[in-house]
Amino acid sequence: MEEMKSISLTQQFISVLWPSFAMAIVASGVFFSAFDPRDLIPYNLDIDISPLAAYSIGFLLFWLLCILSSWGTLYFAISNCRLTARHNP
Amino acid sequence: MAQQAEVPLQSLYEAHKKIYPREIGGRFTRLRMLSVVVLLGIYYIMPLVQWDGRQAILFDLPARKFYLFGLTLWPQDFIYLAALLILAGLSLFFFTALIGRVWCGYACPQTVWTEAYLWMERKIEGKRGSRMKLDKAPMSGAKFRTKLLKHTVWIAFSLWTGFTFVAYFTPIRELGNNLVTLSLGPWETFWILFYGFATYGNAGFMREQVCKYMCPYARFQSAMFDADTLIVAYHPERGEPRGSRRRGVEPQSVGLGDCIDCNVCVQVCPTGIDIRDGLQYECIACSACIDACDEIMDKMNYPRGLVRYTTENSAEGKKQHIVRPRILVYATILLTLCGLLLTNLAQRIPLDLDVIRDRNSLYRETRDGLIENVYTLKILNMDDQSHRYELRAEGIDGLRLQLDEPDIRVAAGSVAELVARIQADELNLEDRSVEVRFYLQALDANHLSVVEEARFVGPGRL
Repeated sequence: MEEMKSISLTQQFISVLWPSFAMAIVASGVFFSAFDPRDLIPYNLDIDISPLAAYSIGFLLFWLLCILSSWGTLYFAISNCRLTARHNP
Repeated sequence: MAQQAEVPLQSLYEAHKKIYPREIGGRFTRLRMLSVVVLLGIYYIMPLVQWDGRQAILFDLPARKFYLFGLTLWPQDFIYLAALLILAGLSLFFFTALIGRVWCGYACPQTVWTEAYLWMERKIEGKRGSRMKLDKAPMSGAKFRTKLLKHTVWIAFSLWTGFTFVAYFTPIRELGNNLVTLSLGPWETFWILFYGFATYGNAGFMREQVCKYMCPYARFQSAMFDADTLIVAYHPERGEPRGSRRRGVEPQSVGLGDCIDCNVCVQVCPTGIDIRDGLQYECIACSACIDACDEIMDKMNYPRGLVRYTTENSAEGKKQHIVRPRILVYATILLTLCGLLLTNLAQRIPLDLDVIRDRNSLYRETRDGLIENVYTLKILNMDDQSHRYELRAEGIDGLRLQLDEPDIRVAAGSVAELVARIQADELNLEDRSVEVRFYLQALDANHLSVVEEARFVGPGRL
């Protein structure tokens, strides 16, 4: 429990950014092998976007989603530890 | 996030001491350097290699194709890439069980790039002692120039690394042209900087901390270890009690073991551990300490191997087994998967047919009173030659197949779309919806044939 409190900010950043980065690579790989980004743009929208831009934005969006998930896990893990520590001083 | 502000700030993961690995020569160091040069060479040279008039390895994003020498993989072949990754993972298991963490010590990109950055650092800042002195010294003109030179060289190398990375996705000639004419796209620039920055940070600063705190393999590799796995270990029975003595002194005569406690094994360690404390998860089995100790043993005229490659069993004088159930199980799974992948790849038919039924109308009646369904066919010719095809349909007695364009030609590596109509007599329909099969056969290559099923919808029996 004590260890949880002493996780540094840098450590928190890395433990959120790094696993979510790895999962975003997997997610983009699976997603874009099934869907061509050109087919995903609605017909009524006139968007001219290069394939590299489409894949990059897709990857960054996946990364963002995974960051939210990782951050949620970290947040609850830390705050639950604090609660437990308060109830059992 | 407010709670996080209370957390005391500290260095990366612990009160981190910068590690200054001492330079070292020796047989394992030469082997590691060879591995570094070969692997980095492959990474930087591969995008320049041409194959059949195009880049040998290229993830062509706009065309959604992956070129791997003579092989062209399409998104449909993603399964092969996934299988390849699973195979890589399994071989890591197999080799870890057999020879320990050789991956970490000799082949992991983190090790390889760290060695390269360390080499540049040594060339510019000097040996271990000078580097430590330089870091301790107050900032001066000379220190600033040395540091500036090191970071300039590091950043230049990082940018080259990032450029090479992007060259696996954008053909390197095009990318080089864009770079020279300063017309790189925003995303190409972003990824060059992103990958370059990651390399700069990981190989220049994070180094062993990546192995210690960020690498999942370092955490679970112990699950693959057993008493017969090759490890780097110190021989305590021979070495202890350690202590310094003059050269040429027989250890027994002064009541000491062979270890002269010179600490060179600690100084050369890139993760900063003392191998004499036993097997530790921080040890990446780079064997720098073996070379270091052998050199000292040679100087002292003691036999080599106070720190050596061994296994737990052989260190304890027990019988050593190379073939054991764990190895057999890993090998069997590995070989089976390898075989499956290769057979599948060899039998892969570079032709695919997608049939999409027209969703706007269920069916229509023709002037001759037949029931008609309309389909859109997508033909993917994944071969590197163009072909002509014949299309047939079966499934209903006396069905008629009509094509807008009866001569079906698809160029190499492209997709053709065509509209097909199937007409059938209502009396021959057994149900509201029956199965029909489309047979596509290349006219000039027998093995290129595929079957695709579709539904034919009619009014149903009254």
